[in-house]
Formats: sequence, structure tokens, C-alpha cells
Amino acid sequence: MSTPVMDKTRRLEVNKAGSKMISDYWDGVFNARERGDQVVWYNGQALNPIFQAAGLVWCHGEAFSARLAAQHLEVPAQQAGEEYGYLGELCSYSRTHLGCAVLTQKSRQGEATGIVGMPEQEQLASKLPAPDFFVNAYSGCSTGQQWDDISFRVFGKELPMFNVSLPFLWGNKPDSGYLVGEEWEQTSLHVEDQLYKLIDFIEHQTGRPFDWDALRQNMAYIKRASELRREAMALCALTPAPATFWDWISSIAHINFLPASQELVDFFAAVKAEVERRVAEGISGVQNERYRLYFDGIMNWNKLGWLAKKFAAHDVAVIAGRYTHHAFWQEPHMIDPENPIPGMAKHYLLCPTNHGTKTIQNLVLGDCEKYGVDGIVFHSTRTCRAFTNPQQLVAKAAQRDLGIPSIFFEGDVADASFYKDEILESRLVAMLEGIDSRRSRDVTG
Amino acid sequence: MSETLAAALAPLAEVAEDPDAYVVRWKERTGGKVVGAFPMSFPGEIAHAAGALPVVIQENREPDTHGRNLLAEFYCGYTRNIADSAAKGNLDIYDGFFLADHCIQLLGAVDVVRFESPEKPMYFGHLPTSLGDSWTPEDARKMMRSFVDEMGEFAGAPVTPEALAHSIAVFNENRRLLREIFEARRSGNAQFTAEQMQVLVKSSMVMDKAEHTRLLRRVIAEAAEVPRDDRVRLYLSGHFSHAPKPELLRAIEDCGALVVDDDLFTGMRYISTDVPEDVDAVDALRDWYLQRDVNLPCATLVQHEADWEDYLLNSIDRSGAQGVIVLLVKFCEPHMLYYPELRKALDERGVPHLLIETEHEGVPEENVRTRVEALVERIRRNQLVRS
Ligand code: SF4
Ligand code: SF4
Repeated sequence: MSTPVMDKTRRLEVNKAGSKMISDYWDGVFNARERGDQVVWYNGQALNPIFQAAGLVWCHGEAFSARLAAQHLEVPAQQAGEEYGYLGELCSYSRTHLGCAVLTQKSRQGEATGIVGMPEQEQLASKLPAPDFFVNAYSGCSTGQQWDDISFRVFGKELPMFNVSLPFLWGNKPDSGYLVGEEWEQTSLHVEDQLYKLIDFIEHQTGRPFDWDALRQNMAYIKRASELRREAMALCALTPAPATFWDWISSIAHINFLPASQELVDFFAAVKAEVERRVAEGISGVQNERYRLYFDGIMNWNKLGWLAKKFAAHDVAVIAGRYTHHAFWQEPHMIDPENPIPGMAKHYLLCPTNHGTKTIQNLVLGDCEKYGVDGIVFHSTRTCRAFTNPQQLVAKAAQRDLGIPSIFFEGDVADASFYKDEILESRLVAMLEGIDSRRSRDVTG
Repeated sequence: MSETLAAALAPLAEVAEDPDAYVVRWKERTGGKVVGAFPMSFPGEIAHAAGALPVVIQENREPDTHGRNLLAEFYCGYTRNIADSAAKGNLDIYDGFFLADHCIQLLGAVDVVRFESPEKPMYFGHLPTSLGDSWTPEDARKMMRSFVDEMGEFAGAPVTPEALAHSIAVFNENRRLLREIFEARRSGNAQFTAEQMQVLVKSSMVMDKAEHTRLLRRVIAEAAEVPRDDRVRLYLSGHFSHAPKPELLRAIEDCGALVVDDDLFTGMRYISTDVPEDVDAVDALRDWYLQRDVNLPCATLVQHEADWEDYLLNSIDRSGAQGVIVLLVKFCEPHMLYYPELRKALDERGVPHLLIETEHEGVPEENVRTRVEALVERIRRNQLVRS
């Protein structure tokens, strides 16, 4: 495996403080039982402001798998999953998390029978507290919904589950488009309706009336945090970019599932302040930025630091991506803290895998123009068909409509074995050479 | 097999072998429109009631070429083949497309079809996939209603309740006849090979239903009671969205095994459920959708009360199967998620089983034979130990 020679990344300093927020959150999840809190396992969209208002501890399945992978601790869970029968081509988020479920269920049975000190308990993968109930709200991927149904089965088919159904925005009506059209309006109302029912379900599970004021407050924090995040992201259209895609990846957990609070707002205010400072001082996210690329694909969590260094080593600033820029409360203007449910419902439909190719193409190509990129890197995410579905078509459209070249490389969200460094290295080098020769043609011709 | 039975089967086998040729002939003959429906949940009755020919689009036999750069290589054989067919223009024989499924790979493949044939009507309706919720029946009814309306628009005239009721009766009759044959096989009649059973179902997915029913009646009239012999009795489970390759079925039965039952899509799954005839047609289609998962649980749907593994164990009891071959379409996510539940149930019951993954290209016949032979051997040994 070739190694990037020098670390030319200049990651935002604020991310260090950010990591602590994440580990504090997970510690809070691991200790939930000791505090006597109720725990909900959920998947898909960011329902956490609702859980927070209901006084629950929430554990997002994909997020936990991503965290294990980012810390290179995913193997024990994946082995448990494999032993249970999950094949290696199954979504690695789901098989990692189901592996955790198997381990958690085992250790739960251990507790019930008084057996303590099981070796698995040493491993982070088995530290998740077993859920009191499940909520599923998966958009854009049929696997997400089935995965929770299987978790339900792994836990002996006895825990309650609420399913929020988020229809795919196919976009075929003459008036269909991003945030417009009858399909969008009708589907949003359909989801709103389900969210009210979800809140009834949660009231039933907790035995407490739902705290609507708390939800309004949470959404006010999230709206503000999101505005700051988006404003900071927009500054990266400048050349050289003051921060990169990898910085936005580092703060996904915050905007996606950390508690809504003043601390969250302060964190994104600090992110924005640091980006502004960099702009003022002319500091770039990558030393000597020579190329600007767009990243399409769900994140390869095991390779986060590696990829950041690799692209920077080639003087590439990865500026933006479908995963970071088209998810996670990305349209804060739609959030009305006084009447939070409609804006929440709309965001839950806006997962970047929940649109037909036409819309995704418009979003990605729009970003490419806005951020002035030279090319697109497609992470052909081996076990996530939701993200890979439109990639080949988008690549063709980028070439056809904007003359922007693309490369594809293989990897996965939480399974390191699918990543092939040589392929990325050779294709990246070839694309950069192509960009160079086009530039020199442009200059001479 | 008698010559007359072989002759009765021949026209169906021809359609199963080359569905496109049938579609083209049907269009020439009738001048009608053909609706390409993607598996596994769109009710063909609606298209039939609009005067069109509903065809469940089949995986073809050609190697994938043009489609290879439209979907990544880690897609199931069916979806990759759809992308390939779209790119080669093989789907031009359809006048429009309808889809009611909730499998993300299939959506990706159908998006490729839309990209390749932007001028063709293409309708996707999201039927609720979580079936146990209190609002599901109403949501499913609304979706069926919108299918009916969209189909009317496609056909150029509204689909009438009378036409729908008639089509429902025609489809039910066809399913009932097919189920009779399946029931006979389950109860001990070894008249048909697994490959022939597939011909019966696959041709039904493609042909005009009344025509298929006529030909099916001839087959039934010619069929005889053939008692099972001492071949090892196997059950085939899984294989969503498309038909396993005939040579795979042949290889399995060549190993001294006899397939006695299945829950394959191109098998029991397709014909498991009738549409009620005594209620409003749209309600009836909704009921059909909900009831299918009760009758034969599907891994693409979520319903806590319906357990595929329980269904499988019951079917094994009913058919006297001694072992199970799980045919898993490689990369099929819903099946990969449910497989461990099936495996656990089979293990707990001590039912010998084998997992075979299939792809579009190349059935590794020798490898399959070796593994099936080992399974058959194991079952025989167990039998000896027990007797
Ligand atoms: S396949 Fe992709 S979108 Fe679906 S559950 Fe897995 S990671 Fe999420
Ligand atoms: S075989 Fe599986 S993955 Fe392929 S379309 Fe069918 S359900 Fe989807």
C-alpha cells in the first residue's frame, strides 16, 4: 500500500473540541442504564430532537457502526454478525450493528442469568445498552427498514417498534423537483402525520406527556447550528478553500445526533469563526491547493484520516460532497421552531439517497458549479446501493453538461476490506494529469 | 412424460424461453399496449383491466455488456440485467413501465430505464412496506387507487370497476390452477420437474392470462399422477424477483434429488394469494397486497407477526421435504438480512440445508453439483441412522 508522503492537510482546530463532544455523548449512552434512563435504538433520519424532548437516551445504529469503523474497532461486531450468518456483501452498517445487537443480546442474557465478565463486555461493540424500543425512519434505502425488523427479531421479537415510512421522491410528475411540486407537498404532509403518531407512541412508551416546549427549543438550537454550518460551508467556495469536505465529515455527528443545546450552537459558531479567520489570513484547508474535487459517496469511515491525507498529498482540496452538503438539516430556512414538525418532516425526506437520479444530478452538478470543482470522485460504496444507485448516470451528466471528469474508487462505509488503495491512487493521478493537460490547453489555446 | 403432455407444455416452454418474442407477437396480433411491470408487487390486474398486456419483466439470457457501466458490479443479477436490457434497447417492446416495489437496487435499475427511455411513461408508486401499522391499509388503498388512475391515463381511458372485477376473476382463475399443480406436487405427485414448474409460472407472468389458462388446462388434462420415488425430497427457498436458471434446477435434480415445494418468486410466491372478488376492486387489491405477506412472508416487507421461517418449517412439514436449498440472488439485501433467521430455524429443527448464491452470468454447475451431492448424501446417511 503506498503511503502519502507528507501531511498537507490543515484540518480545522475546532474539530478537536468537537471530538470530545462526541465521546461524551457516547459515554452518556453507555451509562444510560446506570442512570435508569430509557433507551431507544433508531435508524435513518435525525429523530433525536424528539427523543431528547421526551427525556430518552438515543442510539443511532449507523452512527454507532460508523464510530466503530472510524476507531478501527468494527471487527469484533462484524465477526459476531458473520457467525450469526450475515454475508459480507450485506450493508456493513447493518451487519456491524446487528453484530452489536447479537453481542448486546448475549450480554443481556448474561446479566439475566447472573453471568458476568463475559469477554465481549470488554469490547466497545457490546457496550450498547439494549433498547427499550425501536424507531425506524429510513429514507432512500430499503435495507434500513429491514435491518430494524431484524434487530427486533434478534432481540426475541418482544420490543415495541415504531416505523416512520418515508416514501422515495421519484420525481416523475411534470411539476416535480427539489422542494417543489405536488409529490413533495403531499409526501411531506404524509410524514408530518406520522411524526405526530410517533410522538403519541413515545408518550405511551415513557408514560409521560411529551414536552412540546422542549422540542421547540431543540429545533431553535438546531436551526441556528445549521445556519452557522451552512454559512461556513458556503465560504469554502472561495479559492483556496479555507476548509475541506473532511472537516464537514468531522462535524456530521454533531449536526446529525448530538443533543440540541447552546453548546451545539457554540460549536458551529466556533467552526464558522475559524473558517472566517482562515479566509482573513489566507489559510487554506490544504497546503498549496492546486485541484478542487467533489466527493460523491457515503463516507468510508475506516479511511477518514487516510483519505484526507491522500488527497492533500496530491494538492487536492476536496471541497464538498453529496453526503455532507445534502443531508443533516441542510435547509434550515424550512425549520420553524414555533411549529417544528413540518420542517422536520421535510428534512427527513431530504436524505441524499431519497431522490430519483434527476434531482440528485441537479444537486450535484449545481454544487460542482458553485464550488468551482475540477472533477468528481465517486466512492463506489460497496455495500450501500442506496448511495451508488445514481452514480454512473451522474458521472455521465457531469461530463456531458459541464465537461467535468470523474473517477470511481471502491471502498465501503464500515468494512475496510473493500478499499483498494492502488485503484484510487492510479485513477486519481490519471485524472489530475488530465486536468493539468486541459488547463495547459486552455492557456495555450 | 407422455408425448401429449410434452406437446401441451411446449407452447408455454417456448414463452418462458423467449418472453420478448411472445410480447412482440402479441402486439402484432392485437395492436394493444404492453406494460412492463417490475417484480414483485405490482398487480397486473390493473393493466389487464385497461386492455393492456401486463408482463413481469424477466431477466434475459444475454451476457451483460452495455449496462455494465450503468450500475456497479455489486448489484443483483436481475437489476444489472435490467440496466443492460435498457441500454441495449431490449425494453423498447414495452409501451410503459409500472413499479410498486421497495427494494433500493430495483429503484436504481428502474432509474436507468428512465434515463435510457425518457419518453416512455414510467410510474413508481410506494406501497407501504411496513404492514403492521394502523394506517397501512388506508395508505395501501390510496396507492392502489392511484395505480388505477395512472393506468387509466396510460391507456387513454379510465379503468372501470367492472373491467377491474373481470380482470381480477381472470387472474384468480389462473393462480388457482397453478396452485392446484403446486398442491399436487406438495402432496406427492412427482409429475413435473422443477424446471417444468418454472415454465408454468414464468409463462404465466408473461402471457395473456386467458390464453395461459387455456393452455394450462390442457397441461392439467394431460398430467398424470406420478408417485414420488426414493429420491431425496428437497425444498427450494428464496430467489426473489427472477427465475433461477433452468440449468441450475436441472443440476439440482440430477443429483438424485426431487424438488417437492418452493417459496421462490417464480414459484409459490407469485401465485400465493388471490384478490378477493366480493368487495370493491380497489379494496380487494389492497387486501391482496396485505394478505400476500401473511400467506407467504416476504423479506422486502416488514410485518412482525409474519415469519418467513415459520412458513418455511410448515411447508417442509406439508411437503415432506428432507432438506432445503436456499437460493440467494447474490447481493440481494433483503434476503441477506433474513437468511440468518431462516438458518437458525432450520438448524434448530435439524433440517439439512445449503446456501447457493446465484448471479446473472455463469451457473457454476460443477460446484453446485458437488455441494448438492454432499447435501443429498448427508440426508441419506441421516435416514439410514434413523431407520
Ligand atoms: S445500504 Fe446504505 S443507506 Fe442503506 S442502510 Fe446501509 S448504509 Fe444506510
Ligand atoms: S433480487 Fe433482491 S436485490 Fe434484486 S431486485 Fe429483487 S429484492 Fe431487490
